[in-house]
Amino acid sequence: MLFFLVSCFSFILLLSKSWKSTMGDISNIWFCEDFLKFLASWFRKGRNTISYLNLPLMKKPVESKLENVEKKEDEISLLDLPDLTLECIFERLPPNGLCSMAAVCSYLREKCTSDHLWEKHMKEKWGALIGSAAYREWQCYIASRNNDSLLENPRKKRDLLGKFSEIRKFLWNRSKGNEDNSKVRSSSAIMDWYLSLESGTFWFSAQVFNREVQNGHVGFTLSCYDAEVSYDCNTNTFRARYPSQGRRIVEENIEWNRLRAPTVDTPPYVLHVSDCLSDLKPDDHFEIQWRKSKEFAYGWWYGVVGHLESCNGNKLNCHCHSSDTVLLEFKQYTPGSRWRQIVINRKEHREVGNEADGFYGGIRKLYSDKEISLWKSLCPSSTLE
Amino acid sequence: MAEASSSITEKFFLTLKSSDGDEFVLEESIAIQSITIKNMVEDGCSSSVIPLSKVDTETLIKVIEYMKMHSSTSSNEEEIENFDKKFVSNSINTILNILEAANFLDINNLLELCAEAVANRIKNKTPEAVRKIFNITSDFTPEEEAEIRNETPWAFEGNLDHSLD
Repeated sequence: MLFFLVSCFSFILLLSKSWKSTMGDISNIWFCEDFLKFLASWFRKGRNTISYLNLPLMKKPVESKLENVEKKEDEISLLDLPDLTLECIFERLPPNGLCSMAAVCSYLREKCTSDHLWEKHMKEKWGALIGSAAYREWQCYIASRNNDSLLENPRKKRDLLGKFSEIRKFLWNRSKGNEDNSKVRSSSAIMDWYLSLESGTFWFSAQVFNREVQNGHVGFTLSCYDAEVSYDCNTNTFRARYPSQGRRIVEENIEWNRLRAPTVDTPPYVLHVSDCLSDLKPDDHFEIQWRKSKEFAYGWWYGVVGHLESCNGNKLNCHCHSSDTVLLEFKQYTPGSRWRQIVINRKEHREVGNEADGFYGGIRKLYSDKEISLWKSLCPSSTLE
Repeated sequence: MAEASSSITEKFFLTLKSSDGDEFVLEESIAIQSITIKNMVEDGCSSSVIPLSKVDTETLIKVIEYMKMHSSTSSNEEEIENFDKKFVSNSINTILNILEAANFLDINNLLELCAEAVANRIKNKTPEAVRKIFNITSDFTPEEEAEIRNETPWAFEGNLDHSLD
């Protein structure tokens, strides 16, 4: 059939080529169309062939043919699609869509709870805020959650575990043959984590910029404090608990842009070991640990390295970078304020200060433009006393 | 005309046969958007009719329409966009059939288009609505059902769609 068609066409082409010399272009076109029409009707008559040669005149027979196609009784189901095709659909679903599909039946549950589908959502929404510390906390959280429920209600726990291991066993056997159940159990680990974050049941470590400033505590402007935070998906904000002597201070309605994952592994009550002291020069941006008294947790405070009093600030003859002392400036305070500046010793700085002015601890020099511009965006419009 | 003729001389045609036995003649350059068909052509298996036992006539017509629109040099981006928009408004069953065909024929952009279409239709549906749309029976016990509901954050439930379209 194909050969026949192809030979037909070469025939037309031969004809059209030979006729071109004798006849005008217009008549040539007409001839071609007529001939094709003839061909088309010829095919339509005896054969089961529907030609698809860019010819509008061929559409009719195709459509009438369609009407005669019997409607199939057993229509295709979503569950009949090959695995890879289903994956293509599921990886385009948002988290609530995946949750919904996971509640349809056990087969879809197995598919829609798998880690690789949830990894993307986890990364997209939580990747920037969840650091390695929060991950460790999550590990502890699930371990303690399991222990808790075991202690509180052993019977319930047993039922729950029994039931789920049953489902999982069933699913696992169905798809991959006999293997260890625990693998199936962990298959929904990231979904579990995502939902715990989303529902706010899981509190994790993060740092909060300008804590309580919106509640009137302007003294915290341009600082970043460690806290335990949890998400509220209704308002798309966080609540934070700050450790404080013996009691907890809670702040609500914290927007995403006021949070970050801890930048160093140093816990809030531990002095950070500075590794940038020899590198500090005027106009460098930095964060320094500061605490009010030795019993309090450190917060990280933003500042800029200034010129020493002995220097006139002229770049050409400035020797501040080679001096043993470094002047740290906190420009949110008015010049003359006791918080405005502090001079530290580059060689032996660990922690300086007293109970009146607080204690200045470890320093992090800021290299990333992103970090610097974040701090700059938090700068107040007017200075503080 | 002379130019048009000479360009036609370089065209090759393939015959595709649907599972209903209908044959479709299609330019090779259009048909090889399907990697499956392309491989057959390269392996020299395309001299006779290519049987597509997994694709019925109705679906094959849709797939050919799609391939023609997406291979045509005359259709501009806007035309293609409008075509795709109309294409995905087919019934969910048709889309599923096309999806299966696109998978079998290995036409990646068609697969992605239809997967997106299905995802868009189901993304805000309740589990009950999904069951009805796809005629799926739940195999959860009532206790399991309750357990699953508990794990889903309550906030998700507020904006779910119960409709079946």
